[in-house]
Amino acid sequence: MKFDPKKLRKTVLDMAYAGSTVHIGCAFSIIELLSVLYKSHLRYPENDPFNKHRDYFLLSKGHGIMAQYACMRELGWLCDDDFLNYFSDGSDLKGLSDSRIPGIEVTSGSLGHGFSVGVGLAMGAKLHKTDQKTYVLVGDGEINEGPIWEGALFATHHELDNFMVIVDENGFQAMGNTQDIMKLGSIQSKFESFGFDAITIDGHDEMAINKAIVGLWKGNKKKPKALIAKTVKGKGVDFMEHDNSWHYTRLNQESYKQAILSINGNNT
Amino acid sequence: MRDALSDALVSLGKKDPNILLLTGDHGYALFDDFRRECPEQYINAGIAEQNMVGVAAGLARSGFRPIVYGLSAFIPIRVLEQIKLDVAHDHLPVIFIGDGAGFVYSHLGTSHQATEDIACSRVVPNLSVYSPADRFELTQCLAIAYQDNSAVYLRVGKADRGDIHQSLPNIKSGRLIKVKTGKESKYSFIATGSMVRTAIDVADKLHNIDVWSMPFIKPIDRSMVEKICHNSEAVVVLEEHSKFGGLGSLIAEIASESSPVKILHVAVNDRFSQKCGTYEYLLQEHELDFATVYKNIRNFFERI
Repeated sequence: MKFDPKKLRKTVLDMAYAGSTVHIGCAFSIIELLSVLYKSHLRYPENDPFNKHRDYFLLSKGHGIMAQYACMRELGWLCDDDFLNYFSDGSDLKGLSDSRIPGIEVTSGSLGHGFSVGVGLAMGAKLHKTDQKTYVLVGDGEINEGPIWEGALFATHHELDNFMVIVDENGFQAMGNTQDIMKLGSIQSKFESFGFDAITIDGHDEMAINKAIVGLWKGNKKKPKALIAKTVKGKGVDFMEHDNSWHYTRLNQESYKQAILSINGNNT
Repeated sequence: MRDALSDALVSLGKKDPNILLLTGDHGYALFDDFRRECPEQYINAGIAEQNMVGVAAGLARSGFRPIVYGLSAFIPIRVLEQIKLDVAHDHLPVIFIGDGAGFVYSHLGTSHQATEDIACSRVVPNLSVYSPADRFELTQCLAIAYQDNSAVYLRVGKADRGDIHQSLPNIKSGRLIKVKTGKESKYSFIATGSMVRTAIDVADKLHNIDVWSMPFIKPIDRSMVEKICHNSEAVVVLEEHSKFGGLGSLIAEIASESSPVKILHVAVNDRFSQKCGTYEYLLQEHELDFATVYKNIRNFFERI
């Protein structure tokens, strides 16, 4: 099955191990979200990442990029060598998203950028009178950034009902718990008060994600959409779940093996 | 110059329906004609410059030609990272107009004055930087920026210092324009924006000066600068911008590599404005008024 979450997580682990890289937890919290998006919603006519009529997916939280790479491999846009040689000298795939890679729309990592660019793309689609949809995935830590809220005002003012923000609410940011660092309160009611149609779901329940996306698009015309996904940082590997050290920790041979075992175990 | 800006925007907007003009709630009265002639192409993005630039990037990605307008204190300074990451990184065709550069907002103080914008923008890869001196240069710079089909920062400074040119045949991107030829030219003045007027006024009293206007800061025709430096006993660079990183730095970078020459740099010292007052008053505070500039240039020539 394409975009099988278990397989995607293994790809991320292979990649992270090959490149000895960080941000594994950030990728694991968005696996099911990306799986559902790529499997059932994002339209790439002729499987072409540059197709003019494609939907737009912007990973604004560039730290989750390995999850997107894993999906792009399923689409055939990346090859095995890209993964085996991750982070080797002279390789293309970086530790944060780079728009020069076909299939990646924005350069991110500096947070709070993708939202506004997505709003611009959604407005462009409206002006061109196409039915293209724009999805922007942001982290809950990322919404500390001011431009997110500037963009939310703008999207509502211009009635961009072809725009959806997906918030990966994993409860952590780089240095700890979001509630300790910058209290977010209810993200859903924040977006609602900015004029969005919003819903909160379990971000690892594929059926619920799919249903919520379908429901949001069917919902209120003239309103932008917000999908708040409650997720677990490090999801899928028992010793990584809820442990923010996997924002920074690199795999060694032992932890890599254990992680693979854990993924297999969780799915048998 | 502001009429010229308005006219140029209207003519671009009418020529190309993909032109979208975005403003961060600035430009009172400046856009009256544009709004009347191209109402569907005008977006007031509110007082939210960072989002405005991101939105412009998205619009450019979907085939539009955004022109983003703001005060140069905000565009490019406040949004430098959005320009770098969202626009310049991918060669997106967005024109940034930063108005009121230098000390135009002389009464308003530090927040509205911009003397660091050239330095900050010229270090961003893929971003061109233009700095016209009068309405003729402005019109052509905007036309060239449109033809460039890539990211451009257009610096608009003090707009009412009169015409430098009586007319201006088509200028080529990157070239300096000779605006005065001395009788027996020993020295050259290279100036940009508002200071071209001052350069000409000083040269009028000294007789042996060639004066060049430099509306293109990046990219530039290096060989022209090398030639001017090579053929001059000394060069004076004038700009209403910080001494760090602007036109003076650029000329010195080129001269030091290939045609070393003594350079006097007439620019803003490393300080914020202390007082407020008229534009002329503030130029005095920063030693950029005609009398002080003239005196300092005389002293420089005497020391050579």
